[in-house]
Amino acid sequence: MPVGVGLGSPGERWRERHLRVLMLAPALTILGALTLFPTLYMFTASVQRVSADPGVPRAFVGLDNFIRMASDSQFHVGLLNTIIFTACAVTVEFLLGLGLALLFDRFIRHFNFLKTVLMIPMMLPPIAVAITWKLIYQPQFGVLNELMYRLGLPLRAWAGDVHLAMFTIILADIWEWTPFVFLLMLAGLASLPVEPYEAAEIDGASAWQQFWDLTLPFLKPVIAIALLLRAMDAMRLFDLVFILTGGGPANSTIVLSLYIFQVAFRFVDIGYAAAISLFVLAVTTVLSTWFIKRMKLAD
Amino acid sequence: MGAIRTRNRGRERALRWLAYAVAALALLWTLFPIYWIGINSFKLDLDIFAVPPVWFDFSPTLKHYYAAFVERPFLIYAMNSMIIAVLTTLVSLVFGTMAGYALARFQYPGRWRYNISFWILSTRMMPPIVTIIPLFIFFGTVNLLNTKTAVVIAYTAFNLPFVIWMMKSYFQDLPVELEEAAIVDGDTRWGAFLHVALPLARPGLAATAIFCLILSWNEFLLALILTQTEQSVTLPIGIAGRVTQYTTYWGEISAAGFLASIPIVIFAFIVQRHLVRGLSLGAIKG
Repeated sequence: MPVGVGLGSPGERWRERHLRVLMLAPALTILGALTLFPTLYMFTASVQRVSADPGVPRAFVGLDNFIRMASDSQFHVGLLNTIIFTACAVTVEFLLGLGLALLFDRFIRHFNFLKTVLMIPMMLPPIAVAITWKLIYQPQFGVLNELMYRLGLPLRAWAGDVHLAMFTIILADIWEWTPFVFLLMLAGLASLPVEPYEAAEIDGASAWQQFWDLTLPFLKPVIAIALLLRAMDAMRLFDLVFILTGGGPANSTIVLSLYIFQVAFRFVDIGYAAAISLFVLAVTTVLSTWFIKRMKLAD
Repeated sequence: MGAIRTRNRGRERALRWLAYAVAALALLWTLFPIYWIGINSFKLDLDIFAVPPVWFDFSPTLKHYYAAFVERPFLIYAMNSMIIAVLTTLVSLVFGTMAGYALARFQYPGRWRYNISFWILSTRMMPPIVTIIPLFIFFGTVNLLNTKTAVVIAYTAFNLPFVIWMMKSYFQDLPVELEEAAIVDGDTRWGAFLHVALPLARPGLAATAIFCLILSWNEFLLALILTQTEQSVTLPIGIAGRVTQYTTYWGEISAAGFLASIPIVIFAFIVQRHLVRGLSLGAIKG
């Protein structure tokens, strides 16, 4: 495209010549300042002891903060809980979302209103989701215990029970995020080509064979997007835990982001919080790099 | 042959009814919690704490709405949330749209287009807990803690990659010929963006703006750390503040939580056509 041929004032000509940079600069400056500066800060803080009192100078401690991670049982519990939560929640959300999408694609097309209603949970403010489930789990007057009572089952403390607290968080997350998988799968199914199915029909393939040999392979890219986005999101889980259990009882639901939050703002140990943050950052960077490359998002 | 077909038809019908049953169950599962929080916000405390629970039959009251929005400063929290959401959306939309357009339309030497896009996307994937600690310290030293400015700056950083990516993909879907024609007719490159591309991208802009509003309105972790005073707190943090170690003010938080959800549900219906594109890059959650 010819750029800036025979234009008016010198200012206008200058603007035209540098338009590419001028249009990118504001966004990239803001993004750069707000991501590069914090990352650099975290790198320096991770090898220092940072006192809560700004008057006390920082001390260089080498890799102490990272070595501490190896022997910190709280960190291990947080890591394990994060992995358990991510694995359970994402698996169930995926299976439910895919199953529901297959049913809708086959039998309940053109019900856009109904589909949008099913999308509501993931759009709601997470705080609203958290207090809603807190109310449902409430041991004395919550409806879950009412249901248990009607079914003749023993009443539970739910979010207050060491063995059930993680389950309550997973269940609330399933309610909130299954719609996300459902929506992506529905979109994936709607874009499938028709011809292979017609051919398979003529060859006498069963519905089950068609699902395994055609639908699943075709859906693979969408499935990868859904699983990766959900997994990356699940690893930063914070609000549900913060409201439903606060990490308790007895640390049974502490997850990495909540632990970092506590180390930084309750124990005011910025250096150690930085070390754990870098660990989380490393894991997400590996995942997100793989994700962006694989999905060709940046192309 | 005939027998097989009838059997298949019978199975098909059974499956269809199964699908309807599952859909009804999914609808119940989705709507019950929303119904429950909504209904509880209109109950007297007596009915909230009733065992067995009161499902439908109670005398509705606006007491909790009055308590939250008149007696307690939830109106201020809601205003804070609204101002922050609107400002964040404006700033990220202006800068993000320009950058998205530049990435969609201009030529770059070597692999620069890819590198810049890649970097922008990778900032979107950063866990917020990693960036928030330095930002908290930074805003503390420049005396911006507990101000809307700090929250808007932080939110802009989290919204920008999303806006850039959305708008880039919208501009790439627009035919370039219209802008070329405008330039041939004597318009500048900037003019072609302003007068041709931007008006054409209006549906995309609207959808992106709504996603930004939802994202900022819903955000929890950053606001929790950046706002702590009564005057600066956003609605989600205000609600969380009424869940204390000793008591939970069920009526108040139900009222505020339910009211905070209503605009989001309306937005959900407005942007339903754009949901897939938006969600593929985390339109909803930071």
